[in-house]
Amino acid sequence: MIKQFINFEWKQFSRSSYFQKGIAIKILLVFLVLYFGGAALMLGIGLFFILKEVLPTLDPIVVVNNFIIYWLLFDLVIRFFMQQLPVMNIKPLMVIPVKRNTVIHYLLGKTVISFFNFMPIFIFLPFSIVLLSQGYPVVNVVCWFFATLFLGLSNNFLNFLINKSNVVFYVLISVLAILIGSEYFNIFKISAPIGEAFNALYSNPWFALILFFIMIGLYYINFSFIKNEFYLDDAVSKKIKEVNATDLSWMNRFGSVAIFLKNDVKLIWRNARPKQVMMMSFLFLFYGLIFFTNKMYNDSPAWLAFAAMFVTGGFLMTFGQLVPSWDSEYYKMLMSQNIPYKKYLESKWYLMVFGVTLSFILSTPYIYFGWKIYGLIVAGALFNIGLNSFITLFGGALNRVPIELNVKAKAFSNTNGFNPTQMLISLPKLFLPMFLFYLPYKFINFETGLMVLGFSGILGIVFKNFFLNKIEKIYQTGKYKTIAAFGEK
Amino acid sequence: MIKTIELSKKYGGVTVLNIANLEIPKGQSFGLVGNNGAGKTTYFNLLLDLIKPTTGNVTNHEIQVNASEDWKPFTAAFIDESFLIGYLTPEEYFYFIGELRGMNKADIDAFLSQFDEIFNDEILKKKKYLRDLSKGNQKKVGIIAALIGRPEVIVLDEPFANLDPTTQIRLKKLLKDLTAASNTTLLISSHDLGHVTEVCDRIVVLEKGEIVKDLITSAETLQELEAYFSV
Repeated sequence: MIKQFINFEWKQFSRSSYFQKGIAIKILLVFLVLYFGGAALMLGIGLFFILKEVLPTLDPIVVVNNFIIYWLLFDLVIRFFMQQLPVMNIKPLMVIPVKRNTVIHYLLGKTVISFFNFMPIFIFLPFSIVLLSQGYPVVNVVCWFFATLFLGLSNNFLNFLINKSNVVFYVLISVLAILIGSEYFNIFKISAPIGEAFNALYSNPWFALILFFIMIGLYYINFSFIKNEFYLDDAVSKKIKEVNATDLSWMNRFGSVAIFLKNDVKLIWRNARPKQVMMMSFLFLFYGLIFFTNKMYNDSPAWLAFAAMFVTGGFLMTFGQLVPSWDSEYYKMLMSQNIPYKKYLESKWYLMVFGVTLSFILSTPYIYFGWKIYGLIVAGALFNIGLNSFITLFGGALNRVPIELNVKAKAFSNTNGFNPTQMLISLPKLFLPMFLFYLPYKFINFETGLMVLGFSGILGIVFKNFFLNKIEKIYQTGKYKTIAAFGEK
Repeated sequence: MIKTIELSKKYGGVTVLNIANLEIPKGQSFGLVGNNGAGKTTYFNLLLDLIKPTTGNVTNHEIQVNASEDWKPFTAAFIDESFLIGYLTPEEYFYFIGELRGMNKADIDAFLSQFDEIFNDEILKKKKYLRDLSKGNQKKVGIIAALIGRPEVIVLDEPFANLDPTTQIRLKKLLKDLTAASNTTLLISSHDLGHVTEVCDRIVVLEKGEIVKDLITSAETLQELEAYFSV
């Protein structure tokens, strides 16, 4: 049976329209994987010697142990946003004679084969081998290596739980917030006992067993969680929410695009997935804090420009990059109704402008960091409105992944679909503002940098129709492909 | 008038539709029948410019559909549930379509009041989203929405499927009245030979993408169709 499943998986993967992308993107992806894998390998080999060099008084394994907790947290965050969870069409399997447990074991087993689980092996395996070659005790090193492996896999299963259960997600976030808070305000130094715990892990090899049982425990929590969800409850007896309609007629003042704007507001308000994205975009507002409070970045204003763009661009980028996917469920209707394509795009543009404006208003407290920072935020907002919005809309034309609007955190659907094309398109979004600011800053001065960045945005607004017409053409050309891809569920 | 010239659609070398010439005059109620895979939905999709023709084109009131968007203001369609916006209530959906077609809220309310019978108290003011309605009720909403704003061309794919018998009968009456009272061109497809012969002036039979019969409906049409399909 498992063989059949693997066969299905392969077919689903290789036959999806998502995979039928240009060869260039595939090559680039392979290249990226090789790059990161290679970098990890080099780090693993070199780590011991680097640490010996930098901190000659400390044992490298102790230093590594002190950092393991950060690796775990970072790994979890990265997994949460990037790792694709297994998607399986469970419905057809429910009524045929396959043991439920087989399906679930397969589903969970599949998550193990992930790039994210190979990364630690790439680092820790060579590191362990170096340790052995340096004459560290074999049993301790081997057990320690397996312990890191178990930790990584525990993260893997934990991530699954976080993604699927909001309760786990919020509990974990609260616990982390409390721990980090108490660490930060010196109430309780949690990092010290954790570091000791990991060192104990190395000196007492049998501790690895504990981690092994934690991993197995998480696996079985996942297992029972999925087993409970292994019903079509949501399909068979839907929980029907009563509609809470709000009057949006005040939006009519926006003229001919008002009708679409009203719909988009309802789209965001009434569907799980866009709501999730909204929450995410809110977090972007705080992105500046990381950069503006850090001395290191104050001397490299290009990074400050980058951060300033992020502060107001959260909604634009997270929501905008999935235009037109948001409308994928009824795209055919939009394409045959009395809607000029340009109006549709224009309404999305207005929505993004609205998002940037709102973020801009909310970012007023950044004045605290001085007028230079605030000037960057103003210029960044202008750039977002005038240029970033169009780049994002342009990127949307190449994005043909259908979205199930009201699906979030269910055991058998992919909630955080990560799309490499989107990542490629986001590169100019990220680097253009740095570039626009940095060149004039370097050759003239800070103020000119601000002016150029802000002016680029104004230029975009002036040429709005030109850009919209161009983008419309691209959308029109890809129309049939988009319709076909959106029809594929 | 809808003109179809040398229209064909191929998927990977397999021809799924091939119509040399088909003219549907204004005001006709036109029925398309055929077994699964005959090309009915493909034809409608081409007419609505949702898929790209391999050769030829469709002209809707002098406008070539894949060259200009100007056919959209006077054409309405309901092909499947993907024409509905799941997170809207039926009312909101009607208002949305109404606004696209230049009708305000009051116009729509007046328009909807004539369909009380069809809605059967299951659709309006129920505080439910479209995605939570049953398949049949979703279909009702889609069909009625396609009638909003007096479009000159209405395309309905399998309008009778999924409907309960009472609604099927009411819908037949509605469509007949519509074409009798106005100059609307109606295009429907159906697997129910009885329904199409009742509603349509003209019936075209498709088989493997080709037109095999083109009949003006008469008393014998139903028998002729039944004879054709009972192989």
